[in-house]
Amino acid sequence: MNLQITPQRTLAETAIIDAFGERLSALPGDGAVMVKRDNAIEAVKAGLPTKRVESWHYTDLRRLLTSVPPHDETANAKAVAPLIEGSTVLSVLNGVASEKPAAIDGVTVQPLAEKLADGSFAPALETYGSDDAIGALNIAFVGDGFFVDIAEGSELEAPLELQNVQAGGQTHVRLPVRVGNGAKATIVERQTGSGAALASSVSQLLLGDDAEILWIIVQDQPETATHFAQFKAELGKNSKLTLFIMNAGGKLVRQEVVVDAKGEGADFKLRGVNLLAGDSHTDVTMVLDHSVPHTTSTEVIRNVVTGRAKGVFQGRINVAQYAQKTDAKMACNTLLLSDDGEFSTKPELEIFADDVQCGHGATVTEIDHNHLFYLMARGIDEKTARGLLVKAFLAEVIEELEDEPTVEALEALLDGWFATHG
Amino acid sequence: MPAVQDTIDRVRKIDVDQYKYGFETEIEMDKAPKGLSEDTIRFISAKKNEPQWMLDWRLEAYRRWVTLQEPTWARVNYPKIDFQDIHYYAAPKSTPGPTSLAEVDPELLKVYEKLGIPLREQEILAGVQKPADSELDEANDNVYKSGRVAVDAVFDSVSVVTTFKKELAEAGVIFCSISEAIREHPDLVKKYLGSVVPTSDNYYATLNSAVFTDGSFVFVPKGVRCPMELSTYFRINEKNTGQFERTLIIAEEGAYVSYLEGCTAPQRDENQLHAAVVELIALDDAEIKYSTVQNWYPGDAQGKGGIYNFVTKRGDCRGDRSKISWTQVETGSAITWKYPSCILRGDDSRGEFYSIAVSNGHQQVDSGTKMIHLGKNTSSRIISKGIAAGFSQNTYRGQVSAHRKASNARNFTQCDSLLIGEDCGAHTVPYIEAKNSTAQFEHEATTSKISEDQLFYVMQRGIPEEEAIALIVNGFVKEVIQELPMEFAVEAQKLIGISLEGSVG
Repeated sequence: MNLQITPQRTLAETAIIDAFGERLSALPGDGAVMVKRDNAIEAVKAGLPTKRVESWHYTDLRRLLTSVPPHDETANAKAVAPLIEGSTVLSVLNGVASEKPAAIDGVTVQPLAEKLADGSFAPALETYGSDDAIGALNIAFVGDGFFVDIAEGSELEAPLELQNVQAGGQTHVRLPVRVGNGAKATIVERQTGSGAALASSVSQLLLGDDAEILWIIVQDQPETATHFAQFKAELGKNSKLTLFIMNAGGKLVRQEVVVDAKGEGADFKLRGVNLLAGDSHTDVTMVLDHSVPHTTSTEVIRNVVTGRAKGVFQGRINVAQYAQKTDAKMACNTLLLSDDGEFSTKPELEIFADDVQCGHGATVTEIDHNHLFYLMARGIDEKTARGLLVKAFLAEVIEELEDEPTVEALEALLDGWFATHG
Repeated sequence: MPAVQDTIDRVRKIDVDQYKYGFETEIEMDKAPKGLSEDTIRFISAKKNEPQWMLDWRLEAYRRWVTLQEPTWARVNYPKIDFQDIHYYAAPKSTPGPTSLAEVDPELLKVYEKLGIPLREQEILAGVQKPADSELDEANDNVYKSGRVAVDAVFDSVSVVTTFKKELAEAGVIFCSISEAIREHPDLVKKYLGSVVPTSDNYYATLNSAVFTDGSFVFVPKGVRCPMELSTYFRINEKNTGQFERTLIIAEEGAYVSYLEGCTAPQRDENQLHAAVVELIALDDAEIKYSTVQNWYPGDAQGKGGIYNFVTKRGDCRGDRSKISWTQVETGSAITWKYPSCILRGDDSRGEFYSIAVSNGHQQVDSGTKMIHLGKNTSSRIISKGIAAGFSQNTYRGQVSAHRKASNARNFTQCDSLLIGEDCGAHTVPYIEAKNSTAQFEHEATTSKISEDQLFYVMQRGIPEEEAIALIVNGFVKEVIQELPMEFAVEAQKLIGISLEGSVG
């Protein structure tokens, strides 16, 4: 007989379930939201995903998530200076949206807690697939965030920065953004903090027809924090989304990107830079659907692994049956600089249409010795030469963004990281 | 232009309806009763006059198997297999261990004749049997020209004949059925059997360990270059039987062997199970080349019937500077679940995998390889071409990993897919895992059509489009085809008979 034994709950699982019992009464939401929360916690009760769950193959959450801090009422997080000077800042501090900002032309902002309380946000609290542990965790606990609506045709002059700052305990935040037809904007998502928190954050972007968005995610959590993030987007007709992700911190990090190109002519670009150090485990997982004909996408992920860090990139491109003329290209390049580091990658293609151009490439190498020799032959010492080559490897992706202040801000972050970890 | 008309037509030609090996032969069979239990295993073991240790080994595997669950991670769908509804042993009655061709049932020889497999060694030696007008004999002709091939023919559960044994023995090479090896060379079998694919490896390998009925055994001693190609032809004939063969190939220090495998089955409405295990062991400086042309019955146009091909193949580059090369041409089976792998244990060892997988009708292919780099300075190369047509699903699933101590591991992977028609799917699922900073892994995958530039270049020189495509494509397929021994290359080309132009570019 095959005995199906339900494994004992881990400390982390128990802590999450206990926290739900304690927090529930304090969480905003009407009946509909509460039903969603109850369903979501049931998914957590069924157990955190293990490596047997395909989408979590390299991030065995059940094993890796060893401790979950309780909610900390006293934690006091402070807003940080914006990445790009002159940005309009909306801060969520320790899970609570700070006061309503001054009015911005063409943008309506509402604290999410209000939309949870009146139940109008309930339909948007959905997980994707059966193994969406981050979605479930977030739905169960989400307390606040900002609901941002950018009106049709408006072009934002200054970047909009959405900050999620933690100072310990647990924070569960959602950042839904709706972009009207033809609107244009640069949005910065800052995920940072100072405590050994368990932070979950879900961004939901609905992109109207012909809209254009540059979305920059910068994650530099302290090396004690657990960070679970999800970025979900739906692209309208002829819309353009450029998503840039920089991971430069955290102890256990999973950033999911779930994009559906569902309007003809939609274009998606993903550029990622993952800087991995210490004992961290960082997983970037992307699921990209090309659901209709004539959509395009390119993804370039660059990783640098130092110390005993473990890195993961999973990227799956799905091309639906009649999504002809899809053009999708994905590349994941990794510099493994330490013998104790690890990098695993799983670039997948799932193709059901016959007239498509799809490809992926993945490399894992160390620094090219010829390049190193070239520099050293010119009197540059080895350490500096290595630094130059690694930076050049990453800067290539950043510079693609072209916008001068954005590139400078990101390169400054890069330099800062190398100053402490290089 | 996803695929040229010519290609589409040719794929249609190899459509499942036209499976030409679908005949069935009436041969009196000796069968085990349906179902699987310890008694079935004892029955098989007794039929084969096996020593006690072999029976114990089987029983241990069986006891483990009953605790296991069928894996579901592959991208294939099929109704649950009733393992109690299968005969685990079926053998032609008239041949209780034939020693020469004279003792073999002439009906059986006719089967192999129909399949175009040369068993009549005298005729081959004399080279008298010129090819007849049938298509099949062209392959034979090639066999004659390119040299001799020693054949082990496995019919349902037993090996019916092994040719050229004497000549091989003079060179020191042992080539016989695994049952014979268990009886005649127990020390070798004991030492190596299960050392690459342990009984606990996976569901189907464990099942195979419990019930395997026959297969080939090859032992090439130190320093010997096997004087001829070795070959096994597998044929499932009987209804409701499963074929569980076990192949074990050992190349000692500095040895070389090239081994070919081919398979066919009659057309039937029900699905039949084929769960084989192949183990290769290469010691220092040894080289094993293993080629497969898999043409099991794929089911009819509606997806009814066909073979379930759940195979575990693994090579162990145990010695330094050893090399194992897998080449496969997969055109048959309703479901293929197969990942010929290399464990690169020895320093400077090398693993290769070349594959062409063609799926049509309602076939489902989930195939690929694993390259596990353990030793220093190991290298591997993976070239995989998938072609999906009809309603088929074609998945490449591969793993490349470098362990902590595998310094300077190198891998190059290329997998290209071509889709013909709107109802099929092609998928690529590579797993790349590096735990050593000196590892250098490169992976490329494409699903696209022929490059316009290349086509223009060739056509500009006055070559018509179809020919131009053929030219470019031939250069491309060659990467895999040229890895096959000559006689198989011809067979493979005939089987595929199509171009791979969509993967160029």
